[in-house]
Amino acid sequence: MRSLLPSPNDYVLIAVILGMPLLGAFVNGIWGNRLGKRAVRLMALGAVGVSFVASVLAFFSLAQLSNEDKGAHVKLVWTAWEWMHTTGGHGGASVPIEAKFSIDQLSGVMMLIVTGVGFLIHLYATSYMDTDKSYARFFAYLNLFIFAMLVLILADNLPLLFVGWEGVGLCSYLLIGFWYENAANAAAGKKAFIANRVGDFGLLCAMFLLVEYTGALDWNGIANGATNLLHPGDAYRVHVWPLGGGHYQGVLAFLNHPVTVSAATAVGMALLLGCTGKSAQIPLYVWLPDAMAGPTPVSALIHAATMVTAGIYLICRLSFVFVLSPFTMMMIAIVGAGTALFAATIAVVQNDIKKVLAYSTISQLGFMFLGVGVGAFTAGFFHVFTHAFFKACLFLCAGSVIHAMHARIHDDDKAQDVRNMGGLRKWLPLTHLSFAAATAAIIGFPLTSGFFSKDEILYRAFVDRTVNPEDGLGLVQKMTTYAPPQWIGPVLYATAVLAALLTAFYMCRLYLLTFWGDFKGWSIGRPSLLARREVAAAQLTSAQAAEPDADDARADADHPHHEDLATPGYPPHESPWQMTVPLIILAAFSLFAGVLDPGFGIFKERPLDHWLEPVFKAATERAVVFENGHDAAWAEHLEWPLALGGFLAFVVGTGLAWWVYIAKRGAPAQRLAETQPGLYHLLLDKWRIDELYDATVIAALESLAETASAVDKSLIDAVLARLTALLVAASGTVLRAFQNGVVHVYAAMMVVGLAFAGWFFAVPHPNATVADAGNDDYLVTAAPGVGYAYRWDADGDGKPEKQDFGGDTTLKLHLEPGKSQNVNLEVRNSFGLVRTKTIHLARPQEPTSSL
Amino acid sequence: MIPAEHYVVLSALLFVIGGVGFLVRRNVLVTLMSIEVMLNASNLALVAFNRSRLARGLGQNYVGQSHTGQVFAFFIIAAEAAEVAVGLAIVLAFYRLRRTVRSDEADLLKN
Repeated sequence: MRSLLPSPNDYVLIAVILGMPLLGAFVNGIWGNRLGKRAVRLMALGAVGVSFVASVLAFFSLAQLSNEDKGAHVKLVWTAWEWMHTTGGHGGASVPIEAKFSIDQLSGVMMLIVTGVGFLIHLYATSYMDTDKSYARFFAYLNLFIFAMLVLILADNLPLLFVGWEGVGLCSYLLIGFWYENAANAAAGKKAFIANRVGDFGLLCAMFLLVEYTGALDWNGIANGATNLLHPGDAYRVHVWPLGGGHYQGVLAFLNHPVTVSAATAVGMALLLGCTGKSAQIPLYVWLPDAMAGPTPVSALIHAATMVTAGIYLICRLSFVFVLSPFTMMMIAIVGAGTALFAATIAVVQNDIKKVLAYSTISQLGFMFLGVGVGAFTAGFFHVFTHAFFKACLFLCAGSVIHAMHARIHDDDKAQDVRNMGGLRKWLPLTHLSFAAATAAIIGFPLTSGFFSKDEILYRAFVDRTVNPEDGLGLVQKMTTYAPPQWIGPVLYATAVLAALLTAFYMCRLYLLTFWGDFKGWSIGRPSLLARREVAAAQLTSAQAAEPDADDARADADHPHHEDLATPGYPPHESPWQMTVPLIILAAFSLFAGVLDPGFGIFKERPLDHWLEPVFKAATERAVVFENGHDAAWAEHLEWPLALGGFLAFVVGTGLAWWVYIAKRGAPAQRLAETQPGLYHLLLDKWRIDELYDATVIAALESLAETASAVDKSLIDAVLARLTALLVAASGTVLRAFQNGVVHVYAAMMVVGLAFAGWFFAVPHPNATVADAGNDDYLVTAAPGVGYAYRWDADGDGKPEKQDFGGDTTLKLHLEPGKSQNVNLEVRNSFGLVRTKTIHLARPQEPTSSL
Repeated sequence: MIPAEHYVVLSALLFVIGGVGFLVRRNVLVTLMSIEVMLNASNLALVAFNRSRLARGLGQNYVGQSHTGQVFAFFIIAAEAAEVAVGLAIVLAFYRLRRTVRSDEADLLKN
């Protein structure tokens, strides 16, 4: 086994992991439509499947390597080619940037999630997208998405990661706007792309700063040079203000007060901006809810396996940079906790099944940010891991539900509205069970995967804090860094618990409204087959006639996809196996993946914690300590009491949802919405953040664009373009009169022209250039001409020095400062004509020195 | 030996006759002929100058004796032949189009 696999330093299996999805995208993208559905399916599934198998193999050899090195930070490396060079560091050293990929403990796990969950989503999509006319295009994009995400994960340096980062941005744009005939979908794709661009700006800035301060862009190099980011010297700090080193004058002079931050904080905040864009956090989360405009498998892919986890991954990857700045760490935690609560409040009132899930993703990503922000990188990453399973499962279940609803309702919005669902567990037993399992995980039902990961985050948010990293560096010359306030831990904990409570409530609400109660979809769209059967049965009983036709009740997957109100529709039906099998697998992982990192000392081993320890060692040892200088024993004692908060959140949230939507059949919710219409509509309109952005950022941009457009129209188009065109046209009109088509007139004009040219050549043209020859000398050089002879009159008295014309083209002349003189140049040509030119020379008075 | 100036004067006369003929005559065929006269005037000048250089020994610096002027005249004759061929073809086409060879009828290139 060992000998079959390549060596760790040239691990070419990475080429297979990366290359297969790219090949799939290429084949399906170029020849997909000619290949037919079966071949497209085989290519797409085969590509991701082989990639997954290769990933598993790579993971095993990594595990072997890790065992041999006794848990050190090990890497499988493959260098494809050398990409480019740049310069960086304070010495201006050359920084090579290679197309180099590596698998370490962190990227190994991510790679398994991406290819594994990605494969299940692909399998699901083969059936879900079966009737779509752009089948091949869809799978080409999907494979490209996996490829881009793998590049992002496996990249060994920031520029290469950026390639993948942009790649997933592009693919998300293509896939969200997959049904681009609908303008709203295309707009959603555009929104995702543009919101991500804002974040990319941050990432780019971070890259520039890193290469400047650490002199490297690959992970090892950044880790080695990271200490340069913290340096008390003024030259090592980033000047944030005044912008570009500008200097204000007059009344604005007070603005000159410089604002500097440490390079670590500047890099961290720039990276944070990038991560909030990709991982949909405040303030750049707005694209994610709209991203559900794409087909449901795409939503699952974006929300679970790829794309949004990229931000968390980057924070984990560069954890050793982030911990250098306690301020940035605190900001990450605050952004995370804030987003978790904020998104949860919106999710509570949404009615679109996918929208609720979208906001729940934002909220869960907030939890992950909170985890990594307090320095619990393993906990945050563990939540990425578990979230991949339960959110993929939830989205795919939602797809299955929508698929089923489509049997009855052919309107996309209505088919996704939970108010039209209810009681679906009767028709969709497998989907129902999977959804229930995934819901249990996300709301933190004890012992499910989500319970462990979320509880760990809550617990660590309370007990951990980031301190001045230089204490761990042992530097002699210390600088003061920002110290987070003491109350931040409990506040974060309380916010997160509240968010967890809301999570439990809205997820249970979604689950109960969808699968329990009575099906409310009968009254929408065409009359159902079942309803017709009931009517028929009633007539039959009244007539005491023959038995009803049992075959009609069978749901048919191949029902026609057009609205025909005349014929009755079918009841919702369970999805085919390609869709249910991924659901079951993901549901199983949602329930049981918690064993990989269980807290509370349930098992002696915490495999994931142990596995990732070498990756985060540098970061956590350096700066993460327990709150208020307590020790590990204090934290251990708090683990059970703090878990109570998470558990209570689960119990209260779930109980409340049960009471409202089952016991009281939604009456309390309705009453609350009626008594508090302002609050209800504010939440329903998502706090009107989109409108706020429209009114501020977008409006500002639009007015700028309008100004530019007005200038373009009035100045550039009107004056510069139209006026010049008018002048040319006018002169054309005048000159056209001369073009009368009569050959003799042309000939006559030619003769006139020749006469002018002849006169020009017949007369000599004296001309001269004057150059300073130094030493108070001037050098006068006459312009050359055919057959010219020259005669100079250097003193300008009208009498030439020599009577004969000669070939002397230059004249050297001495002139004292403050004096001036005329020089006459006479030129004679071959026809004997003579012309004279007078050249005035003057040397300015030299400035007298004021000694 | 006849001095070169005589040839040059004759050449200038011929050139002026050709030029004036070109400008004042309306028959395209005569126009063409006038062009021929002008070209041959320049030929005459070339040959005459070359001959006078040789006579004064100015061509001795070159390898053998320089006959550039004469050779140039032959080239011009060849170019003339081509030009006349094209010119006559144009005249013929023009005649077919307008049933005339008067050049002031040829104003299709107007404006």
